[in-house]
Amino acid sequence: MLSRQRLLNLVAALLILGGFTWLCVSIFTNLKDGDWNWSRPWEYRELLLRGWKTTILLSLGALVGSTLVGLLLLFGQRCGLPVVKWTCRLFLEFVRETPLLVQLLVGYFVIFAPLLSRDFERWGWNDKLVIGVILLSLFEGAYLGEILRGGVDSIPRAQWDSARAVGFTPIQIQRYVIFPQALRRVLPALAGQFVSLIKDSSLLSVIGVQEFAYQAKAYTSQTYGGLEAYVPLALGYLALTAPIAFISFRLERRFRHET
Amino acid sequence: MKLSVTSLTKHYGPHTALQDLSIEVLAARVLCLIGPSGGGKSTFLRILGGLETPSSGKVSLLGEDLPTSPNGLLAHRRRNGFLFQQFNLFPHLSALKNLTLPLEKVHGQSPSEALSNARAALDRFGLIDHAEKLPSELSGGQQQRVGIARAIAAGPRILFLDEPTSALDPEMTAEVLELIQELAAEGQNIILSTHEMGFARAVSDHVAFLANGRIEESGPPSQVFENPGSSLCQRFLSRVMRY
Repeated sequence: MLSRQRLLNLVAALLILGGFTWLCVSIFTNLKDGDWNWSRPWEYRELLLRGWKTTILLSLGALVGSTLVGLLLLFGQRCGLPVVKWTCRLFLEFVRETPLLVQLLVGYFVIFAPLLSRDFERWGWNDKLVIGVILLSLFEGAYLGEILRGGVDSIPRAQWDSARAVGFTPIQIQRYVIFPQALRRVLPALAGQFVSLIKDSSLLSVIGVQEFAYQAKAYTSQTYGGLEAYVPLALGYLALTAPIAFISFRLERRFRHET
Repeated sequence: MKLSVTSLTKHYGPHTALQDLSIEVLAARVLCLIGPSGGGKSTFLRILGGLETPSSGKVSLLGEDLPTSPNGLLAHRRRNGFLFQQFNLFPHLSALKNLTLPLEKVHGQSPSEALSNARAALDRFGLIDHAEKLPSELSGGQQQRVGIARAIAAGPRILFLDEPTSALDPEMTAEVLELIQELAAEGQNIILSTHEMGFARAVSDHVAFLANGRIEESGPPSQVFENPGSSLCQRFLSRVMRY
């Protein structure tokens, strides 16, 4: 780096650090003594931990579910039958252009709960959790489908030609040539989508799924407005999302030379 | 190698790439297609290689009619090798894997069999030191040579080469042309399109000049290059041979 650039970098670092310090100081001097009481969240740790575990379960379920939905939409959109193609397109546009909150409320109370809840209860399943996973899978799957389609479309025609020329069948072309390359290209977007999925799962509290954010709110109302739970809430989500970002970063570096 | 084509036509939407093309080659080891860009060389090669289907017309290669069903075309592609101008290799696989994958998945060889065949093919072209490299770590000439190694690894009946050196600098062009010449000398059936006139003349035993979607001139290289009958071919050759 040039010495001038280095100097500017140092000045910028000092400015940012100064601004951040000022922000912290003004926030903490405004807090009254009673606002932070860390013994209370410790008492409720079981509740918060249970919520966190539910969020993990929810996220894992929706991760698998949304991948399936995404693949289905990808193949549906590449299907030769116009009806299938346009149905997928329509579903995808509808899901991406309406708020998740509305989809969850309508999807649970109007569509899935009346249809499935009784059966789920009979089988001893937690109907809210299962329907929550389904709804979240449909929502995130629509985005994944679009990301995957973009990846597949970005592979140059020459690769399809080469793959056909060596004698691969259409399925082999997808499996050995197109998909591995497309996945490498969309990896950052894919990781971003999975991070979104984990964070979006907090919205499922509106249909009564007792996940992490739900339990944090429950804690806040039980302790009459203690705001402490929001710090472990943020840290809890960070503990789930940061590893995904890290793995994606590592994989991206490994694949860099390959395309 | 016997080739017989009658009234071959290929349309892409409103565009006509081949118009009533006919050619008769009784016996040739190496057939060269020359002619201006956009004249239909690539389309003709792609049809012969089973990558495109004709709009109409009849093609017979090695005494057999070219298949038209998807399965027939797949079998045809598996029996032959095809190399494009560039981007032949799969960029996410090492040079070696580029060879072993088709040998295993298309030709049904066991992993150890595929490995030894692939290594033999790479070794033959002096590429064994690059076996573990990704295509992006190889020069353009090396990439094309790996491409040729992949195309011949399964012992194709005919090797199709579509302007294999057009994307290369002169030095790399020479290294690829030498290899093709070697294959021809060993008796490999080859049909290629090229802009390297000197090479076409030296290596082929039949030359066809394509322009405007049809064959304007066809015969042994000495005849086509020294005494072309068609005025289009005369003009083309005098222009490309000037410098």
